[in-house]
Amino acid sequence: MKTPRSRPIVPAVVTLVLALASGSTLAQEKAPRGESPDATSFAYAAPAFIKELDSRYPAQPPVPPAPRYGGVLHFPATVRTFDPTGGYRPELALVWDTLTEWEATWYFPDVQRTPVIRKTLATSWEMVNPSTWIFKLRQGVRFHNRPPVNGREMTAEDVKYSYELLRDKVQYATRAAVVKNIQVVDKYTVKFELTIPDPKFYLNVVDSLSPVIVPREAVEAPGGLAENPIGTGAFMLKEFVPGEGALLVRNPDYYLKDKDGRSLPYVDAVRLFFTKDPATDTALFRSKQVDLMRVATLDVLYALMKTVPDLQLYRVPSFGWGDYGVSMALDKPPFNDVRVRQALSMAINRDVVAEVINRGDASLYGPFPWGLAGYTKRADYSYANLGPNYQYNPKKAKELLAAAGYPSGFETELEWAEFQGWTFNEFVQLVARFWGDVGVRVKLRQLETATWVNKAGGSQPFTQAIAAFSPIGAGPSFMDWTYLRYHSSYPRTVNRAGINDPKLDDLLTTWRQDPGDKRPALQRAIWDHLRANVYRITTIVPPHYRISQAYVHGGGNPYCWFPGYCSYEAKTAWMTDKAPSRKFDKFAQ
Amino acid sequence: MRSYIARRIGQGLLVLWLVSFAVFSLVRILPGDAVLMQLDAAAAPTPEMLARARQELGLDRPFMEQYRTWMSGVVRGDLGRSLITRRPVTQELVKRISLTSHLAVMSMVIALLIALPIGVLAAVRQDTAADYMGRLIAILGLSLPDFWLATVTITFLAIWFQWIPPIGFAPIWQDPGRNLSQLLIPALIIGARLAAVSMRMTRSSLLEVLRQDYIVTARAKGARERAVIVRHALKNAFIPVVTIIGQQFSVLLGGTVIVEFIFLQPGVGSLLLDAVMLRDYTLIQGAVLFFAVVIVAMNLLVDLSYSWLDPRIRYR
Repeated sequence: MKTPRSRPIVPAVVTLVLALASGSTLAQEKAPRGESPDATSFAYAAPAFIKELDSRYPAQPPVPPAPRYGGVLHFPATVRTFDPTGGYRPELALVWDTLTEWEATWYFPDVQRTPVIRKTLATSWEMVNPSTWIFKLRQGVRFHNRPPVNGREMTAEDVKYSYELLRDKVQYATRAAVVKNIQVVDKYTVKFELTIPDPKFYLNVVDSLSPVIVPREAVEAPGGLAENPIGTGAFMLKEFVPGEGALLVRNPDYYLKDKDGRSLPYVDAVRLFFTKDPATDTALFRSKQVDLMRVATLDVLYALMKTVPDLQLYRVPSFGWGDYGVSMALDKPPFNDVRVRQALSMAINRDVVAEVINRGDASLYGPFPWGLAGYTKRADYSYANLGPNYQYNPKKAKELLAAAGYPSGFETELEWAEFQGWTFNEFVQLVARFWGDVGVRVKLRQLETATWVNKAGGSQPFTQAIAAFSPIGAGPSFMDWTYLRYHSSYPRTVNRAGINDPKLDDLLTTWRQDPGDKRPALQRAIWDHLRANVYRITTIVPPHYRISQAYVHGGGNPYCWFPGYCSYEAKTAWMTDKAPSRKFDKFAQ
Repeated sequence: MRSYIARRIGQGLLVLWLVSFAVFSLVRILPGDAVLMQLDAAAAPTPEMLARARQELGLDRPFMEQYRTWMSGVVRGDLGRSLITRRPVTQELVKRISLTSHLAVMSMVIALLIALPIGVLAAVRQDTAADYMGRLIAILGLSLPDFWLATVTITFLAIWFQWIPPIGFAPIWQDPGRNLSQLLIPALIIGARLAAVSMRMTRSSLLEVLRQDYIVTARAKGARERAVIVRHALKNAFIPVVTIIGQQFSVLLGGTVIVEFIFLQPGVGSLLLDAVMLRDYTLIQGAVLFFAVVIVAMNLLVDLSYSWLDPRIRYR
């Protein structure tokens, strides 16, 4: 098989020069075949395409044949530093393990209702009382066999050290800040004492937003973890090139086995490319330089399927990550009036938003994920259950505005930004149009992406309203998705909308103190309270699309649609003999 | 001549100091900082945690104190450490200068290889099909922004050839084939604008020179047309072309930023863009200072080249 490297550069250059020399018209004519399908024709084709996706790519794909060892897996990523003390990224889970992790199975929707926790460093846990937990550790787990750690066994002392080191770091704040004290009971047992009772604390240690376990020797060595990236994970970092990529090789001593007792991981190495531009991502996928990636919109997916027809797709409704919504300055007029918020929510036709944003391939989204609101099916998260505030009703919206003292509407500013291929541009224009229909005159203000990330995250104040994703949480943790995000005792960086509602605080506090019996009813009551008060205008959430080359199998799904973060199950992925032959002695091949 | 060079170097140092102060101030006006930019969407720190992180990075210290500390390092050749990777900025720059230099030189060579022959041809065949074609190509080169050209190029290369320039960088003296496959297309894109500008300047400058009396004299003496163009006209026509190349070099370096970013080339340009997005102040300052040094040096070289092109020019 010809590798991409052997492709002739001269014909490529000549053809390109000729094409470009003939003017931009050619590019415009060719564009519909590739990157951006013609908007009008694809709008008509989209429903049939979605139906085709439903039948051709079921959410639970066929079980792949037995795995094959070898190969080098390529995928795009964003890692600024391979140092857990310097910044969090899901990709760090390739090198460092948490006490447990989500088993990224294919099965939807079961996994969103009943998550499967893979026991990695911890093999069992026990709640002594809601403020005290005991975790038993796996025996015989060894750190990577590299100096200065040299394959030493991981013990309870390492867990205590890691939690004490990382719990105050900003990136682990939501998971570890509730840990008051950690005691080493014996070599393989640790006891956690919490600052607040939490009957679901075991969910806090599951993913890589909770502290990973690091060896003290590596942290204290010159250069710290950045120079000594040693963990217990399935891969060992071989080369890290900031801003460019990284190469990780298989850890031969990794402790986890697959269900048939085979050693993990299957692939020899993983190569990460730190891409920043959606056009680069798709070009890398088309040229088979990356094997897996996420796609932001149906349009891009359609364009990619035209040019890479044998790609494999995993498409699953989002639990809540990646929605399109509007946060408002709740502490000042006019948004401090619930009638205004209700009116603005009613003014938006969510069906049109779904059509424009993602050709109709999207689900409704409300105050928090469906599984936490007590619904048993994703389809129950409907207009009927969300209630009148989520149904398009411009007449009622105008009445509410008039009742709130704004019969002629008002002027407001809506901030937004481009973000990794998401279509906030179209979204804010729709919102401006719908709000304009009820008399609210919107001035759109585009922000630089980094500024928008900070404003949407509550680190900096926004002026009046901002289009952004909703805050997300870990797995099905109501604490993360809801309690922290809506309780007035938390700062804006946690309670992003700055909600201060005594009744809501009471409900949330009662929920937190309940041992578990009344929690489902309380969660539904909180859901009812939030959908009535519309503290944040939520609209739709597109599904997650994960695509892979035909020669990549298994690997589970990227679990970003479930706990909220994107990572790939590199440790269970394997590649067929049709995969390109790749070296892994250094990052740049 | 020596005193002129010394004076120009002095002026260059003043410019560099002003650039250093401007960039140091401007990056701090940008909303957000390195601590905020490192947060994942799911992270939820308290203000106390953010304050502690800023303290660790020294961002809580007074502005002038931070500037003095950084400048005292700069004069000793230490540009500080990246706020994100914690690695020395000098080390990060040194690793990437080679690629950006390759790209800049290759872009310039390509631009001149395209611009000079077409510019000369357009001038000597004024108002013919060759002239119109040359002018059309120049207008295209001026009209197509490099970010657009880079995006379209990478997309169509992937669609038509299932190939894009390999990621990474191999110096030309180690692996010339790989170096060309990695850099030729990005260099063409970056060089397109310089080629267009130089082509137009070569054409108009040569047309003006060709109307001079000494050219008429040379022709009257029976010199062949090729000798008239090459020996008598070109050298004089190149003075404004060299000036424009010097001016456009900064634009060319600006082009490396976005093209390196799109083609995943590990140069100073992509490093700078990354640093801006992450508000990595020390890295931004270091990269901008590097670009400023290159541009100041380039302008000095351009000025010095005038006396070689036209011996009548003297420096005082």
